[in-house]
Amino acid sequence: MSEPLPLEGLNVLDISTFIAAPAAAVALADYGADVIKIEAPGEGDPHRHNYKRAATYPRSEHNFPLQLDGRLKRSIALDLKNEQARPVLEKLIQRADVMIVNFPPPARERLRLRWEDVEPLNPRLVYCSLTGYGETGPDRDRPGFDITAYFGRSGILDAARYEGGPPGISLPAQGDRATAMTLVAAILLGLRHRDRTGKGCWVGSSLYANGAWANGTTLAGAAIGGQIVTREPPHRPKNALANLYRTQDDRWLQLLIVRDDKMWPGFCEVIARPDLLKDERFATREQRKQHVQALYAELEPIFASKTYADWEKALGKTGIPFGVIGRTIDVVDDEQAMHAGIFAATENPDVPRTVNNPIRLGFAKPRVSGVPSAVGEDSEAILRELGHSEAEIAALKKAGALG
Amino acid sequence: MVDSEGPHPGPLAGLSVLDISSFIAAPAAAVVLGDWGADVIKVEGPDGDPNRRIMHDSSNYPKSEVNYPWQMDSRNKRSIVLDLKKPEARAALDRLIEKADVLICNFPPPVREKLRLTYEDTKKINPRLIYASLTGYGESGPDRDRPGFDATAYFARSGLLDAQRYEGGPPGVPGPAQGDRATAIALVASILMALMNRMKTGEGSWVGTSLLGNGLWSCGVIAQAALVGAFLPHRPPPERPRSALGNIYRTQDDRWLQLTIVRTDKLWAPLCEAMGMPELVDDPRFANEPDRRARSDELAALLARAFAAKPYEHWREALAAKGVTFGVISRPQDVPDDQQAVACGAVVETAMTDMPRTLANPIQLGFARQRVAHDAPALGQHSEEILREAGLSADEVAALKSMGAIG
Repeated sequence: MSEPLPLEGLNVLDISTFIAAPAAAVALADYGADVIKIEAPGEGDPHRHNYKRAATYPRSEHNFPLQLDGRLKRSIALDLKNEQARPVLEKLIQRADVMIVNFPPPARERLRLRWEDVEPLNPRLVYCSLTGYGETGPDRDRPGFDITAYFGRSGILDAARYEGGPPGISLPAQGDRATAMTLVAAILLGLRHRDRTGKGCWVGSSLYANGAWANGTTLAGAAIGGQIVTREPPHRPKNALANLYRTQDDRWLQLLIVRDDKMWPGFCEVIARPDLLKDERFATREQRKQHVQALYAELEPIFASKTYADWEKALGKTGIPFGVIGRTIDVVDDEQAMHAGIFAATENPDVPRTVNNPIRLGFAKPRVSGVPSAVGEDSEAILRELGHSEAEIAALKKAGALG
Repeated sequence: MVDSEGPHPGPLAGLSVLDISSFIAAPAAAVVLGDWGADVIKVEGPDGDPNRRIMHDSSNYPKSEVNYPWQMDSRNKRSIVLDLKKPEARAALDRLIEKADVLICNFPPPVREKLRLTYEDTKKINPRLIYASLTGYGESGPDRDRPGFDATAYFARSGLLDAQRYEGGPPGVPGPAQGDRATAIALVASILMALMNRMKTGEGSWVGTSLLGNGLWSCGVIAQAALVGAFLPHRPPPERPRSALGNIYRTQDDRWLQLTIVRTDKLWAPLCEAMGMPELVDDPRFANEPDRRARSDELAALLARAFAAKPYEHWREALAAKGVTFGVISRPQDVPDDQQAVACGAVVETAMTDMPRTLANPIQLGFARQRVAHDAPALGQHSEEILREAGLSADEVAALKSMGAIG
């Protein structure tokens, strides 16, 4: 691939932590941007330790989340609270095209990292802000996470429940990563503005607004007083032939027989229950609806008696429609996922494959990632780029401003 | 953050977009471009986009007299009806393609081939065109021709629904169009990358994304973990959490609160104080994180009892006062009237009479505002006007009409 990447030459400062904002920087890096991550000396971005600490993360000896959210970045460890670090930060800001920040507003103020603080340093800067809940309003200062701001507050989790059951479950960083795409789009709109006007700008998004956007259909319905629909649990279906059934190996099969007027006899045959065909209670569509609970009681143990793979095989040939509830473990080796460009090989032996960002371009391929930088791994190289002497670097280190 | 002086032209003003797509993810991408100033022409067949009827056809949609899904996914667009199976209509479409900057397409690949709407076909007509493709499962491979939907491709196939279940419970429930709308933003980002590329090279390009790819990107942690052989067991139900500090609790008034304490060592003492249980701070059973993990059932029971004794509002104040990270599980009906939903720009007013408020796209720009949403078009409402703009004469338009090529 000799074609230049679309973001080659773009200088991005990632002054953010955890996932949504750093993941936006990753997507920019994937397509050629030079991303410098500014993090605290020592521990660095706390996300570096999530694979060991977070209860909701799969355990591994390899830092797999860092391959996703830290790949293709250089790391400089700067203690932003140390006044001696400030001139270094300002130099970095002066030569940057894009700066990504996700401190809550009070921390930005304290660190003099608001748009109005940095615009005078670099009026061509595209300043990208991520907050949990927006830039104004009663909750603007509240730290927001994917699970709270994107999923909880937006009504997604409440809507994602079965009648009477607990709220739905969100997966780690599920909303963060969707939000990252929004930041990428916002930054690209900011760059377009700069290309046209010569001026930098503020762009941003919030986790809350992204959750609300994802839940937009339901919320638009709610906003005009539409009746919110709750999903009946599988053991109390409206239609036993369009319902979820658990298989022997604790997987679920979505039966989707809409034309049961036609398919009922064939279905009884596939499940080896010709007796049901003669059962008066299930003779017609109307009766099957009327005796839905009885039909469910017949079908539930049948599906529970065979594995998912057995059912896939048995139903697959018959034309009886069913939906696959896939497992991620199966997708990682799914031929179709390869075709869709979803996974990519890396040059990191510990994490040999990673997940591509979902943007596909006919004119460029995402960069191959190597081993993500350790905290401060590139500190000295970056300072030299900025023109600092070895003595200055040593002094900054001694002062604890640089890690 | 938004400049309040006078109207600014959106950053996409002057951009001409053809939305030759149906349902939600791809049309929603066109909505976002329109929000920022693009002129979006929706090309529909004689029966119209089925999304016009989805509220009635889908049992998962809130029911209303207002066609809110259509209003939301087609705001500020103009509609032209072209029966693309007729060669004359196909020729008229070429005239539109000649003048377009962006074409958004989500037909399955065989249909594109049949209609001569592949990138290769359109590139010949307009080499500066940005062709944005949305598929369920990608552009090649065994399932490339399979129609993909949000529930099947984004949620089910990716493993999201299987992962989103409580131990022993049924799969998760995807909200209507939830993955579609996230995917729309990825498609927008793709288009903007292509515009940047065109500015540099003068050339158009193909860009695209898939529902499956977006589903896996959003559950990237699980997918990336699976790639290194790490797996997460299903989440235990709330009374048996892995971590009592990252768990949901029911309050006295039957609402749910979600503790999301990541920095547990820092926030343990503030939590105990906020809960009115200062004695727990130094309780040896919960002295450090490994202890709290080891006794998470015990700790969850203590917290559950405390939460159940007081209403949500009490906890909201008490936790916020101590800086403890938590979230409420809002009901969808609470969101439109949430002051913060307005503050973050999510809920905005419209110029529609039947739908006074809608959801803005989640992008905020300091230099421009999203366009106010005006009514989604009736089927073929702008057919003539669009064709005349493309340079067809009144006679040509009349001829197309009389042969049923346009509606």
